[in-house]
Amino acid sequence: MIHCVDLVKDYPIHRGRRRVLDHVNLDVSPGQKLGIVGRNGAGKSTLIKIIGGVELPTAGRVIRSMSVSWPLAFSGAFQGSLSGLDNLRFICRIYGLDYSETRRFVDDFAELGSQLAEPVKTYSSGMRARLAFALTISIEFDCYLIDEVIMVGDARFFERCKNELFEKRADRALILVSHDMSFIQEVCDTAAVLSNSSLQICPTVADAIDLYHHL
Amino acid sequence: MALVIREINTRYGRENIGFLWIIGEPILFVAGVTIAWSMMRPALEHGLPMPAIVLTGYVPLTMWRHCLGRSVKAYEANGALMFHRQVTPLDIITARCFLEIVGVIMAAAIVLVAGVVVGAMEWPIDWGLVYLGVLMQALFCYATALLMASLSEYSDVAERAVGILSYLAIPFSGAFTMVDWLSPQFQQALLWSPSVNNVEMIRAGMFGASAHSHFDLIYDLWITALMIVAGLHLTMRVRSRILVQ
Repeated sequence: MIHCVDLVKDYPIHRGRRRVLDHVNLDVSPGQKLGIVGRNGAGKSTLIKIIGGVELPTAGRVIRSMSVSWPLAFSGAFQGSLSGLDNLRFICRIYGLDYSETRRFVDDFAELGSQLAEPVKTYSSGMRARLAFALTISIEFDCYLIDEVIMVGDARFFERCKNELFEKRADRALILVSHDMSFIQEVCDTAAVLSNSSLQICPTVADAIDLYHHL
Repeated sequence: MALVIREINTRYGRENIGFLWIIGEPILFVAGVTIAWSMMRPALEHGLPMPAIVLTGYVPLTMWRHCLGRSVKAYEANGALMFHRQVTPLDIITARCFLEIVGVIMAAAIVLVAGVVVGAMEWPIDWGLVYLGVLMQALFCYATALLMASLSEYSDVAERAVGILSYLAIPFSGAFTMVDWLSPQFQQALLWSPSVNNVEMIRAGMFGASAHSHFDLIYDLWITALMIVAGLHLTMRVRSRILVQ
């Protein structure tokens, strides 16, 4: 389970502070597929970063009783000046993975070929997404946090992602942030809408999408 | 350990001599300054040989300045690491300082051996005091880095002040003077600085009684421990101040 208890997040702004999340409560159980929708700037990425432990909440806490991945997003998690392989080596070291096995998996999945030896900052956003995705799922987490990123890949990559996440790892929990309502409808079993700093958990995914369209 | 390897790769890449620059950079510095000063100044200063004075003074100063420089905004620069919950700010700053300190010490050892081989220096008389001084200086550098890494995340003023601070600190580093050469009122003021105590200790080991060293190990231990505790305290709290993209 993941319990988010009374999460509050303030960011300092030019004058004073802005409250991005105001007493957000959320529980995610094993195997649950939760979609989070909301307008740009509503705080979806902030929430997912707090759940992943990348940022700390101003108040409240996150209790994790299952392993949670880092937020898989457009940026972050990689050192741009290091090559893809050096990033991979580092991840293997800190998560205790076997290097050659992980390398084989990433090679096979991301299909980056010799680009893997080049610095990550020279990658296109699609290539970066592939590498990030391959590295994340090479570690067997109980819950994956995904912030939009699957959508930047090409059609073939998108299919492979879906295969890895929703078929091979159907038993895992997932928290997905997206603006693609048909994708949310297709893969999520619950959904929540983030607006005005508060999170509303909807009874069905269709309700959440309906609410989103009326924001 | 993984962080140390990652830091090496990030900073020095995999091109040419790569990670050897960790030692190479301070060697060029230390050797360059030692040679330049030895040529400009008389061979003996207050009865002590010039090359060894420069080496024993410049190495602790370089260690301190490198650690200070690498600690400024160290956490923001490593924002990507925060994506992994097991990596803490303490790990990041420890890895960085470890690299700097080891690099400088190895460079100093190489310059000392080279100096002895060409006859410009002699082996230290009391190795124990040299080790103690270097160890205390390493701890002092680590303490400063802990403090500065956190303070630079809290305030921009602290970040800007580093350049001035590291310049103004030179007289209080003990690098180019010995306490014994100065008038009594300056002596007391200088001995407030942990760095001065450490340099005096190293020189006492290097030259023996002829150095007329002044240092207070008990005070040095206390102040360094206090700084480390304060630094650790800030480091434990700094996490929520770090903005990740």
